[in-house]
Amino acid sequence: MTVDISVLIGGEAGQGIQTVGLLMARTCHRAGLYVMAVNDFESRIRGGHSFIQLRISDRPVHGPTRKLHMMVALDERTYGLHQPELTEGGLALIPKDNADTMAQHHRCKMVDFEGVAKKAGSSILANTVAAGACLSLLGAPFDLFENVLKLTFNQVEEKRLAQNVQAAQYGYAAAEDEPFKWSWRWAMTSPKGRLIDGAHAVAFGALAGDCRFSAFYPMSPATGIIQRLVDMAPTVPLVIEQAEDEIAAVNMVIGAAFAGVRAMTATSGGGFSLMTEGLGLAAITETPIVIVNAQRPGPATGLPTRTAQADLQFVIHASQDEFPRFVFAPGTPFEAFSVTARAFELSERFQVPAIILVDQYLNDSLFVAEEPFEAPEAVTPFTVTDDDLDDVKHYRRYELKDSGISPRALPCNGRALVKVCSDEHDEEGHITEDAEIRDAMVEKRQAKYVAMRRQMRPPEVIHAGSDILLVSWGSMRGAMEEAVNQLRADGINCGGVHVVDVWPFPDAAVGEILGKARQFFVVEQNRSAQLGQLIRQQTGCQYTDAVLKYNGRPMCAGEITTAIKTKLR
Amino acid sequence: MVSTNDYHSDYPNHWCPGCGNFGILDAMKSALAALDLPPEKILIVSGIGQAAKTPHFLQCNCFHSLHGRALPIATGAKIANHHMTVLVSTGDGDCYGEGGNHFMHAIRRNIDVTVLAHNNSVYGLTKGQASPTSMEGMQTKMQPGGVIAGAFNPLAVALSLGAGFVARGFSGEGDQLSNLIQAGIRHRGFALIDILQPCVSFNRVNTHKWYKDRIAPIEENHDETDLIAALRLALGTDDRIPTGIYHRRESPSYTDRIDKLNDKPLTDHQYRPELLKALLTDGYP
Repeated sequence: MTVDISVLIGGEAGQGIQTVGLLMARTCHRAGLYVMAVNDFESRIRGGHSFIQLRISDRPVHGPTRKLHMMVALDERTYGLHQPELTEGGLALIPKDNADTMAQHHRCKMVDFEGVAKKAGSSILANTVAAGACLSLLGAPFDLFENVLKLTFNQVEEKRLAQNVQAAQYGYAAAEDEPFKWSWRWAMTSPKGRLIDGAHAVAFGALAGDCRFSAFYPMSPATGIIQRLVDMAPTVPLVIEQAEDEIAAVNMVIGAAFAGVRAMTATSGGGFSLMTEGLGLAAITETPIVIVNAQRPGPATGLPTRTAQADLQFVIHASQDEFPRFVFAPGTPFEAFSVTARAFELSERFQVPAIILVDQYLNDSLFVAEEPFEAPEAVTPFTVTDDDLDDVKHYRRYELKDSGISPRALPCNGRALVKVCSDEHDEEGHITEDAEIRDAMVEKRQAKYVAMRRQMRPPEVIHAGSDILLVSWGSMRGAMEEAVNQLRADGINCGGVHVVDVWPFPDAAVGEILGKARQFFVVEQNRSAQLGQLIRQQTGCQYTDAVLKYNGRPMCAGEITTAIKTKLR
Repeated sequence: MVSTNDYHSDYPNHWCPGCGNFGILDAMKSALAALDLPPEKILIVSGIGQAAKTPHFLQCNCFHSLHGRALPIATGAKIANHHMTVLVSTGDGDCYGEGGNHFMHAIRRNIDVTVLAHNNSVYGLTKGQASPTSMEGMQTKMQPGGVIAGAFNPLAVALSLGAGFVARGFSGEGDQLSNLIQAGIRHRGFALIDILQPCVSFNRVNTHKWYKDRIAPIEENHDETDLIAALRLALGTDDRIPTGIYHRRESPSYTDRIDKLNDKPLTDHQYRPELLKALLTDGYP
C-alpha cells in the first residue's frame, strides 16, 4: 500500500507546537517512513497562531502539500483557519465541541487536550497528548512513540519524562475508539537516512569546511545555523562570538580569515544589507569569507519568520563596483551540507567571498536526507609560508599573476610582511592612485572568474529532453520535482532543471539544456522571476512564463501543477 | 635587538608637513623597538582617515580596513591568532564616530589590542568637518554656526565601560607617548591611548600651542587602580588636560577566557576528521 498522509498540528505560540512536530517526525522516521515537517510560526513568543504540517509517506517526500488528512487543533482558532484544507473524509481533533463543525465534509472529534494533560501532571503537556492522539489514529505502535520520548527527554529529569509518557498514553486512549480512514499497518523497517533541518545541515557543512570562527548577530531565520554551531562547538576548534551588529560580525569574520582561519557568518537579508560594506572589503583585500543569507520576505523587517527567495539578484550584485564572488543556493539539507563545505574551500582557493542562499523554509523544516554526510579526510590550505617564497623580504601580497590569484601568506606567520588595504593598492598592498596599477588590479581580480566558472557545476536535470522544463533554484527543488512528476503522470511531457551553483552562472550548461526545450517555466518565491531574469541575461534564453509566490509561505507541488496547466491551456 | 630603523618604510608619506601624526609614528617605532618587537611580530589594523594610513609608513603586517571597522577586524584577527601583538591605529572620527558601537563592545570584550586613537578633533582626510571630539561651538565650513553637539569624552566612556588600560598622550610629547604605548602593549587586555594632536591644516582652535598651554602630566600620587579617581581626571573640572595613565587594572582578556585557546592559537589547530565524524554520526537517532 502507499502512504502519503498530511497532518497539521496547530495552536498558539508557546504551546509547544514545534516540539510535537519534532516528536512525531522522529516517530515516523524511526519506523522507517519518509517524513517532512514544515514549521509555520509568527514573530512572537506567546499567543497568535502557529502550526506544523507533517507529510508522512512510504516513498521519499521533499515538499509540502496543501491537502490535509488530519488536523490537531490545540485551540479553536486553528480549526477555523485550517478546516477548509481538510480533505473529504478527513478528521479534526478539536479542543471543544463546536456547533459549526456539524455540517462539514469531514469529521470532528473533541479531545480536551488541556484537561487530559492536567491529569498527567500539567497543562503544558497538552502537546504530548495531541501527539499521542494523532499517532494512535495513524496506527503507530505506542512503544515506538515511548522510545522517541525517552530519547528526546533523556537529558532532563525523570519526572518530566514520566509525565510525558503518561500524557502520551492518555492521548492514545483519548483517540482509541475513533476510526481514521487512512490509518495503516506500521511495518517497522530501519530508518531512512537522517532526519535533519537545513540549518543543521549548513552547520555540519561549515565544520566539514573546517570553519574555525563564526561571528553573528541574531536574526531569523539564520539564528538556527549558529545555534547548531554553538551546540557542536565544544568538541571542535571553533570559536563563536555574538557581535554587536552585523557590520561587526562580518568584519570579525574578515579579520579572522585574514589571520588564517576559515570563518563565516550567517544572517538574513536585513543583516546582509549591513554586511555589504564588509563584502566589498573582503573582495578588495581578497580575504576568503563565507556568508550565509537565510532569506525571508522583505524589504526592511518584512515577514521575519517566513520564507522567500527574493535576494538572488541582490547578493549577486551587493556592494559597490564589481568583483568576483561565489553564490550557491542549495535545495535540500544534503546540498546545504555539501555546498557549504565546498564554499569554504572555493572561497579560500580563489581568495573571494562566497555567499550561500538558504531560506526560512529550508532552514526550519525537517527533511529525511538519505545521502551520507561525510567529513573530508583532509582540508587543504591555500596559503604560503616563508619556505614557499623566493624572496621573503620582498613578499607582495597582491603579486600580479595571470590567474589573478596571488600567493597568500598569513600575518605574523614568518618573516614575510603581509599588507592588505581597502584602498586600491599596488602589489605590496600600499595605497595607490596610479591609473595603470588600478587597471591591473581590476583585471587581476576579475581574471579569477575564468577558473571560478570552471568550478561551477551544471544544474541537476530530471527527464532531460522533455518539451517543457520547470526551472528552480534553492529550496524550491523538492516542490518543483514533485510537480514535474505529477505533470508527467497527467500526460505532460515535462522535465525539471534545478540550479544550485548560481554565480558565476553556469552559462554554457544552462543555455544548452534550456535551448533544447520548447518552453521553460521558472518556479520561484519572489515577484519578478529573478532566476528567469538571470537566465535571460546570461544565456539569452527567454522563459515562457513564471510560477511565482511571495506571500511568505512555501510553495507546494499542487500550486505549481495548477499554475502550469493554466499557462499551458 | 630591534632598532627603530627596522621599521623604516620606503613608501612615501602622505601627511601634511607639521602634522601631529609624525610624532605619533616616531613614538610607535620607539616603543616597538624598546619592546624588542620586530615588524613580523606585529599586526597593525586601521580604519580610514589620516591616522589609518599609519601602517603604510612603517614596516609591519597591516590590515588597512574600512572607516570605523578596525576594531572588529582586529578582534577577529586576535581571536584567530592571539599570539600576534595587535595595534589599532585609528582616529577620532574613525573610532568614536563611525566605529562608536564597535568601540563600546570591544572594551566590553576586553580583547587584547592596543588602540592608538589619533585625536585631532577634526576630520582631516575629508577636509575639515567637525569630529565627535570637536569642542562645542567650534566653527568649520560644514558647521558655520558652530558645533551644536557636546564633545565625546573617550576616556570617560572607556572607563565607565570597564576598560582596563586608559591613557592620554600628546603627539608633541614623544618620550611620554612612547612609554604609554609600551605600557599599553604590555597590558593584557583592551588598552586605549587617546593621543591629542594638532591638525595643522583644519583645526585652528586646538593648535600645538593650545595643547602645550593645557597639558600636564598626571600627578605622581594618582592611584591608577582607582576607577573613580580616573573618572574624575577624565571628566575634568578645569582647563588642564592630564596626560599619562588614567587607569590600569588587568583582568583576563577575551582570548584568556576561551579554554580551547589556552594551549595554542586557533590558527595552529589541525583539522581532525575524527572529531567531525563523531558529530556527523552522533545526532538523533
